[in-house]
Amino acid sequence: MALRLASRRLALASATAPAPRIFARGMASVLEHTKGEPLSTVSELLSSTTAPTPPSKTSTIKEPEPEKSSKIKTFHIYRWNPDEPSSKPKMQSYTLDLNKTGPMMLDALIRIKNEVDPTLTFRRSCREGICGSCAMNIDGVNTLACLCRIPTETTKESRIYPLPHTYVVKDLVPDLTQFYKQYKSIKPYLQRTTPPPDGREYRQSHEDRRKLDGLYECILCACCSTSCPSYWWNQEEYLGPAVLLQSYRWIADSRDEKTEQRKDALNNSMTLYRCHTILNCSRTCPKGLNPALAIAEIKKSLAFA
Amino acid sequence: MSSAPSAGNPPPPSPTRPHQRPTLTPPSLAATESMKENDAGTSILARQRLNRPVAPHLMIYKAQITWYLSGLNRITGCLLSGGFYVFGALYLVAPYIGWHLETAVLAAAFAKWPAVLKVGAKVFNGVRHLTWDTASMIDNKKVNQTGWTVVGLTVVSALLLAFL
Repeated sequence: MALRLASRRLALASATAPAPRIFARGMASVLEHTKGEPLSTVSELLSSTTAPTPPSKTSTIKEPEPEKSSKIKTFHIYRWNPDEPSSKPKMQSYTLDLNKTGPMMLDALIRIKNEVDPTLTFRRSCREGICGSCAMNIDGVNTLACLCRIPTETTKESRIYPLPHTYVVKDLVPDLTQFYKQYKSIKPYLQRTTPPPDGREYRQSHEDRRKLDGLYECILCACCSTSCPSYWWNQEEYLGPAVLLQSYRWIADSRDEKTEQRKDALNNSMTLYRCHTILNCSRTCPKGLNPALAIAEIKKSLAFA
Repeated sequence: MSSAPSAGNPPPPSPTRPHQRPTLTPPSLAATESMKENDAGTSILARQRLNRPVAPHLMIYKAQITWYLSGLNRITGCLLSGGFYVFGALYLVAPYIGWHLETAVLAAAFAKWPAVLKVGAKVFNGVRHLTWDTASMIDNKKVNQTGWTVVGLTVVSALLLAFL
């Protein structure tokens, strides 16, 4: 503790020779993000996870017109209505004929909303896996509903939950405000003061551009961050794999000039180092990206300055 | 003409916080903006936020070798280091309460199943973590392979040590 404070005073004193980065780490803060937002403090202290009412205790809404040769599959979907805030969340069951439904989970959800239960609420937009709106937890795994095929075995039931450990706005819609705030905090834009040498574009070699492959394709669906148990427990201060992948995208960009400041912003005990390489993030990414590798590269670059 | 600042010098302090240099500003205060909660339009939303449930997590997430092995690593680590702390404390206290607690007790504890499995799991998973620190073997296939290798090695080493 004394060494850390002493090194910080040393860094403060001499701008030309700062203490080695690994000794300049700051301390964790508690509930600091809620300063000026008393309602958020209260809500975070009050809310707890209670298991939703299980499917055995809720009704089953059946396929409207079943036929003899129909393939009926049962879906259990998490429901909660903010208009009745005191009611507990529950798992509602729906049965659908797969012969009349499209191949992806999103097709099933849309069919339920159109023909069976119009009150089912979820986010969706592009239906092709590029917008990131329909991110949810399907059969235990965070993925995009529009890219997740419905398993055709009708003996197994599918379970659809909202993204884990997020505050639920309604049914399958999570509150991602904090996720977006964290993304904004890493300054996801090019920071550069020197003009380009030929006065036209900021040029980059092919090798430098290849370093951005696997980083720029992130659609910010939040599947990885909400699959990380460390993000579940430390959501306020740990940035999470998605935001850290993007911060590495800017650290690795050869055209950006504020690399040192970007790395300094991560140099404390919580924003980066709550990552314990659990590796749920890379396992669950619906776009096949590898946030865990990017985080490992950030840690390496911070350790060896 | 002002020249661009070189990488070594920190940028000049902003007028709002002249006493702080940006490099030492805690991240939680540095770049976030506060949202105004006294806007009448958002007051309904703000009140709704108080009642929102937290979506289920541990109980519904699919069992995967990634987070199961990580949880096992932490639990074995806590149990082993907790055990060492307790043993160390008792070792110091033992002579004063007339109790004979020597290293033989520690050796005997490690001859039993739980301790051997814990140490094996911790050691092999620890090596796996060290390779991740060099940013190698972090793709899904390798993580899966090394994970099951760790489980296999733990079981094999426990059996070997038990029958030695």
